Amino acid sequence: MPTYTLNVNGVNRTVSVPEASMPLLWVLRDFMGFTGAKYGCGIEVCGACTVIMDNQREHACKVDVSSAVGKKILTVEGLSGDVDGAKAQAAWVTNQVPQCGFCQPGMLTATTAAMKAGHHGSEIAPEIKHICVCGTYPRINKALGGL
Amino acid sequence: MDDLAAPANGPNRRDLLKGAAASFILPFAVSFAPRRAEAAATPVQIGAFIRIDETNTVTLSIGSTEMGQGIMTGLAQLVAEQLQVNWSQMRGEHAIGGSGAGNPYANPLFHAQITGGSTSMMGWYNPMRTAAATVRDMLIQAAAQQTNTTGWKLGTGGTVTNGTTTLTFAAVAATAASVSGLPAPVLATTTKFVGQRMPRLDIPAKVNGSAVFGMDVQVPGMVFASVVHCPTIGGTVGATPAKPSRPGVLGVINLGNAVAVIATNTWTAIKGASDIERNVSWVLPADTSRMDSASLGATAQNLLTSASSGSVYVAEASGTPTLAGAAKTFDQTYKLPFLAHACMEVMNCTASVTADRCEIWAPTQGQEFIIPAAAAACGLSNDKVVLHTTYLGGGFGRKIESDYVLQAVQCSKQLGVPVKLIWSREQDFQNDRFRPSALIRVQAGLDASNNMTALIYRNVSPSIKLQRGPSSVSNPEDTGAVAGAKGLPYSIGARQIEHVALPTDIPLGYWRSVGESYNTFAVESAIDELAKLAVINPLNFRRDRLTDPRAKGVLTAVETLSGWKNLPPTGYQRGVAFLKGFGSYVAMVAEVGKTSTGTIRVSKIYVAVDCGVVVNPDQVEAQMQGGIAHGLAAAMWHQATFVAGVPQVRNFNNYPYLKLQTMPTVLIKLVASTAAPGGVGETAVPVVAPAVANAWAKLTNTRLRSLPFYPGTTMGGL
Repeated sequence: MPTYTLNVNGVNRTVSVPEASMPLLWVLRDFMGFTGAKYGCGIEVCGACTVIMDNQREHACKVDVSSAVGKKILTVEGLSGDVDGAKAQAAWVTNQVPQCGFCQPGMLTATTAAMKAGHHGSEIAPEIKHICVCGTYPRINKALGGL
Repeated sequence: MDDLAAPANGPNRRDLLKGAAASFILPFAVSFAPRRAEAAATPVQIGAFIRIDETNTVTLSIGSTEMGQGIMTGLAQLVAEQLQVNWSQMRGEHAIGGSGAGNPYANPLFHAQITGGSTSMMGWYNPMRTAAATVRDMLIQAAAQQTNTTGWKLGTGGTVTNGTTTLTFAAVAATAASVSGLPAPVLATTTKFVGQRMPRLDIPAKVNGSAVFGMDVQVPGMVFASVVHCPTIGGTVGATPAKPSRPGVLGVINLGNAVAVIATNTWTAIKGASDIERNVSWVLPADTSRMDSASLGATAQNLLTSASSGSVYVAEASGTPTLAGAAKTFDQTYKLPFLAHACMEVMNCTASVTADRCEIWAPTQGQEFIIPAAAAACGLSNDKVVLHTTYLGGGFGRKIESDYVLQAVQCSKQLGVPVKLIWSREQDFQNDRFRPSALIRVQAGLDASNNMTALIYRNVSPSIKLQRGPSSVSNPEDTGAVAGAKGLPYSIGARQIEHVALPTDIPLGYWRSVGESYNTFAVESAIDELAKLAVINPLNFRRDRLTDPRAKGVLTAVETLSGWKNLPPTGYQRGVAFLKGFGSYVAMVAEVGKTSTGTIRVSKIYVAVDCGVVVNPDQVEAQMQGGIAHGLAAAMWHQATFVAGVPQVRNFNNYPYLKLQTMPTVLIKLVASTAAPGGVGETAVPVVAPAVANAWAKLTNTRLRSLPFYPGTTMGGL
């Protein structure tokens, strides 16, 4: 089985997976226990699987595990240890954003990546085209406004 | 879920505590009665709902499912009010699932542990306060027993006090657990927590990734499964296919109507299931005409005009409605599609079945149904099924079903190891239990003074009740199918409300706001058209035909909120819609203009709601915002279509939702009320489409009577 060493939330871990083409999402979820990133659509439409790789947001359902090697991967579980991520999380709590909460890890990682690109406040909203079926958008907009 | 809404005979206090004793083995035996105050060494369960641990944390076990609506927090507020703890001491969790008589977690409204019909707060408001006040009195009594003194009362921050000595709940919890024989408690009516914007208990875990949804469950030794159903609804597996030759695949299981691929991880299981989809020798149903959108449309049209009298269910009749003699007459038909639920979290379940036990971890709204079904599938008694409810990544009525749960149970039973089974998004869309379509004819008359004199209402739609009923009959008397049309509060004159069941084999289900989701579009569009016929302001037309002050109140509130009496911005018009439903009243105004391509642009939505006593205003507002997002996406774009039994929607790319960029501004007014709590989870959904259609008609003089406004794959609008 192909074996890879991934740096997730600052820690290197080595995993063996059945196929090199396995997307990062499932390596994180099923082989490393990071279940924060979610499977929503598998076709890069919903955004629930979003993680941060070397400060860029990526759809983990489409990134091959092999291409994640050597990158710094940040998932929702690691946001509290990241200065931008922690700010985003605090804004989400202050504005009581989540309802079911399933899409929020993707919303938070995408927001954090936007902050890392130097974007702030209302600049961020046009970049986030994720789906939230619960309709938490008014609160996300409010949360973004303070970032 | 109207069928389940039995009369409100909630359990009394004795039932609640009896149920508790039956359901829990208390950590301390009755004989354990410390003579002096000391902290409990382990958490103590007092009754069915409340547990107190050594740090004086109070954990509430809820029977309702937290699927985003905030019920865990709302119920915890009721408990905190009676116990006067600090909010930071409160925790919430899902109780172990139950089923049948004696289940303390059954919603007291219908004596079943299901979450639906916007009934959780309605059902639990008094029982939960009573249960918490009972525990309060047990804690006070325990302090008296432990200290052999009198004069104890509730303190603050999770304490009891006699004025000189203060003891934590934890110090008296073990004794309290066995206190009995107390008089009925007096409920605290303070508002330190109830009516306040308490922060949700589940949000910290939902922003740091630690919240466990169904698909996040991890059980030692588990394998992974994904399924492929026959692409044609109702098809079955002819022969078990060979396992796909993909690294990581462990095997296949024939589930009758689907094949499960077992693998070392989810992705391999999903890919494996996709690999074999074309290789399975499916046995197709003989006749797919009852699962074809074109055929069903033609049948519905026939039934609308010429259903035999025996197949018509007259749900409500008053006088003899006739259009003859009316000064003005109205006759229009409204059309609504089948809809998918599209929960963000696909169907999934983890099960571990052994010879004498079936343990399940499921995102479920339907504990009541899962337990007996799983027990039967395993050949076990109900008490051998242990059901853990996870957080739900959306439910909307889909997760009240047991189908996906039983698949995991079957796989684990066959394999003898724990199995986490997950559907692909494509399987999720194609194997939904769809919201019924509806074709609705509304005939009405106005007299010379524009009073409504008659309403003849016929709804032709597939019947959920008929499909789930014990036998096939032409007239299932499906009250759910006329919800939102039966018992309209308007002064209408003579009326006849009818339902004709459209025969179909498309699997049907409860979709957020159920009958109201289609009937309210027809009713509130027709009322608007009648107002136009009468040349009366549509908000006044409604209000003048209502007598219930709460109904008039929400219309007046939204009139003020939206600036209805003032001109809308240039290029925009406003439309209004009203609903009395789910124990609440809602009035909505949509402010609608055109996009650069001439399609519908919804800029603002104003909503006034009277849902009785408000436990958490922030969460009522969240449900209004969410219901608007849900209802607007459905109105604009959503339809599930079928060609010869094959569902055509496969993923979010042809079933789009609003985005941050397209969400209208939402302004909300909560109308103060002392009435019993009503529901809010579904209340906003049904009024969105008619409010938008009514505004669009005003703006363009074009009346939209068919949903969605922009069908097909060319998505327009917003």
